[in-house]
Amino acid sequence: MTTMHSLSSDDFLDLASARRRPNRAQLAGILLLVVIALFALFGPWLVDIDPARQQLERFLEAPSLAHPLGFDQLGRSMLARLAHGTQLSLALALVSVLSAALPGTLLGLLAAWRGGWFERVLAAIADAVLALPGLLLVLLLAAFAPGGFWPLYVGISLALWVEYFRVVRAASRILLASPHVEAARLLGFGPVHIVRRHLLPELLPRLFTLMRFGFAGAVLAMSALGFVGVGLQPPTPELGVMMIEMLPYYGEAPWLVGAPVLLLFLTLLGLLLLSPERDA
Amino acid sequence: MRDHHMNQHATMPALAVDGLAVLHGERALVRDISFAIPAGGVLTLLGESGSGKSLLAQAIMGNLPPSLRCAGRVAIGGESTDAADQRSRHAGWGRRLALLPQEPWLALDPTMKVRAQVAETYELVSQPAAGRWTDGEQAQANARTRAGRALASLGLQDAAHKYPFMISGGMAQRVAFLATHAAGAPLMIIDEPTKGLDADRRGEVLALLQAAQARGMSLLCITHDIWLARALGGQLAVMRDGGLIEQGDAARVLAAPRRDYTRLLLAADPAGWPAGAGTGSESAAESAAEYAAESATGSAAAASAATVPAAEPRLIVTIDGIAKSFGRQVLFTGVDARIAAGEIVAVSGPSGSGKTTFGNIVLGLLKPDAGFVTRAAGLAPTAFQKIQQDPGAAFAPRISLRQSLRDLVKLHRLDWALLDDMLARMRLAPALLDRLPHQVSGGELQRIALARVLLMKPALIFADEPTSRLDPVTQQDVFALLTQHVRDSGCALLLVTHDEDIVRSVARRRIVLENSGAAAGAQPGG
Repeated sequence: MTTMHSLSSDDFLDLASARRRPNRAQLAGILLLVVIALFALFGPWLVDIDPARQQLERFLEAPSLAHPLGFDQLGRSMLARLAHGTQLSLALALVSVLSAALPGTLLGLLAAWRGGWFERVLAAIADAVLALPGLLLVLLLAAFAPGGFWPLYVGISLALWVEYFRVVRAASRILLASPHVEAARLLGFGPVHIVRRHLLPELLPRLFTLMRFGFAGAVLAMSALGFVGVGLQPPTPELGVMMIEMLPYYGEAPWLVGAPVLLLFLTLLGLLLLSPERDA
Repeated sequence: MRDHHMNQHATMPALAVDGLAVLHGERALVRDISFAIPAGGVLTLLGESGSGKSLLAQAIMGNLPPSLRCAGRVAIGGESTDAADQRSRHAGWGRRLALLPQEPWLALDPTMKVRAQVAETYELVSQPAAGRWTDGEQAQANARTRAGRALASLGLQDAAHKYPFMISGGMAQRVAFLATHAAGAPLMIIDEPTKGLDADRRGEVLALLQAAQARGMSLLCITHDIWLARALGGQLAVMRDGGLIEQGDAARVLAAPRRDYTRLLLAADPAGWPAGAGTGSESAAESAAEYAAESATGSAAAASAATVPAAEPRLIVTIDGIAKSFGRQVLFTGVDARIAAGEIVAVSGPSGSGKTTFGNIVLGLLKPDAGFVTRAAGLAPTAFQKIQQDPGAAFAPRISLRQSLRDLVKLHRLDWALLDDMLARMRLAPALLDRLPHQVSGGELQRIALARVLLMKPALIFADEPTSRLDPVTQQDVFALLTQHVRDSGCALLLVTHDEDIVRSVARRRIVLENSGAAAGAQPGG
């Protein structure tokens, strides 16, 4: 690359036009996510079957036109459960990712900006949290309110914020030492401007990448916690819980475990496609 | 092996290029290039940034970006290939032709020790008849020995077990030279070997190239350094807008250029600038007399500063006995200086003496370990501004220039018309502002940076190597604008540059920083 420096940059760039327009892969990602979001938002209302209603005589019934995903081992409509599960899982994952990303980013920025003892204390706390297995943290919290929704959410956020903190702090330290930030300071710009114009444009793509993986991690963590008996429990229609619940019936009715897996896969695929390849 | 190879083609030119063109779609970025370098000869390709010099080198190597294609013929050591068939030349990389890239310290692997990097080429690229069939370990040991010997031959034996970041820019250049040359390529393309190096290191590079030439290597040297072209001799070709406009014996072209553009290019060399050009009104003789750097070394002071000439206008900043060290490395101690409005003061000192650090302390970006920097009363907090070495790094990278400047105008409640006026005076097209910083050339960007700084009506500008990354024509242009506006606005200029010619021509006096002993860690690139 260094040998390319003196090429006149104009010759290769379709100025600006290439920057904003999403490419085909991104369009596919957007489409996928919009469909899944619509399913999560309106699915439960469209299907309009109580996900907890059991019709034991129809257990493991194969998919049909009226019931496209059939019935599960307790004769509950799989489509209804999937719709409710999607809504709950995605909302939970979104909330825990956001509640980890926001404080993590803010603390990372603050630490890089302030430096000194403030940064060292925060970094030490972050290292301590990192040393503590995330699941253990959730288990501890769950001891106070077993089966609840809040310990899960708080625990996952507490375990995840460290990633954002570390990434943001490391990147911000480099950026804050860069000539363009130095120039901005000399020109009289304050922290808000520097964060908005100089740091965030560089940080957001990385944060977005972290959030995508964090999103998947949150869904999987919830199912793992469900499996060990804390957090959400089987009657609740939630993707992770459903995967574990349906796993024993893989031989007879693979579509049952397949449906939540496929939905999670498509969600992640959509998120991955969304990323501009150059910034990933 | 090499000697054999070279004898075989002794009568053939080492490199012959015939009608070479580089095309982007229908547009020719480089066109109709023909020249021949005899075995053991040297051709220097001179031209400003963006003239297509590096593209030409990439085309000869067969390493153009995919969006470009080339036409014409390229003959290496007598073996002629269709220029468009770039792959056919890849097999010769390292063995028949080699490329020493720009800023080679960036091309070295930072995680690998110096000797290992050179040995790698001996082991993997060069295939000596005897070494070919030996087992891996023996070949490795053999390569290590040869690399050690090669390093020692260039005086680099102490660097063998260091990492690239631990050695100086000049040493890194020699290491990169060895690594690219280890496989015995008789033809070397060298891209801007002296870019960003100070006078001592330029001398080292020249010695290296001359030694290589003496051993029978043919060189194609791409540069905008006229001093280097003069020193290398051989043939000289001048490139402009993708074409060769003048070609011939180096001494002849430099002494009696036929084309106006060549004359312009030669005149832009700082060595040719008139002394005291930047000080305007004074006559050259007068400024030369005033210029002499006084070395009034204080009792405890290892560094010294010139005294202020009498009857200066308003004092802008007073510097009292400042000192700074990083860890155990003492940069300077006890520096005193006073800078008045309208002065142009150079900061000089050897590489690593803390010239940039000194400027940053004056700006208030860093705190000195001892001493004080006192600004004149009544100056705005933004009265001290800086022009950075790399203009490409001085703007928020993902924000359009217009947005950056709009933010500035809004912050200080300025008038955009003022900026338009400033840009016009810097000869910048307003449409440039709609681009991102990396989409604008270095010279243009540095002028935008200058406009941005002048918009703040500064009392002092600290220019840190403002043109070291620009070619001579652009450099002269930027300096002319810089000094003119400094003069017009009556602000002071504190200038750091490694180029003595520029100091001589522009500055009235200087502040000399001297290393006061203590482990001087070499910094690549000065």
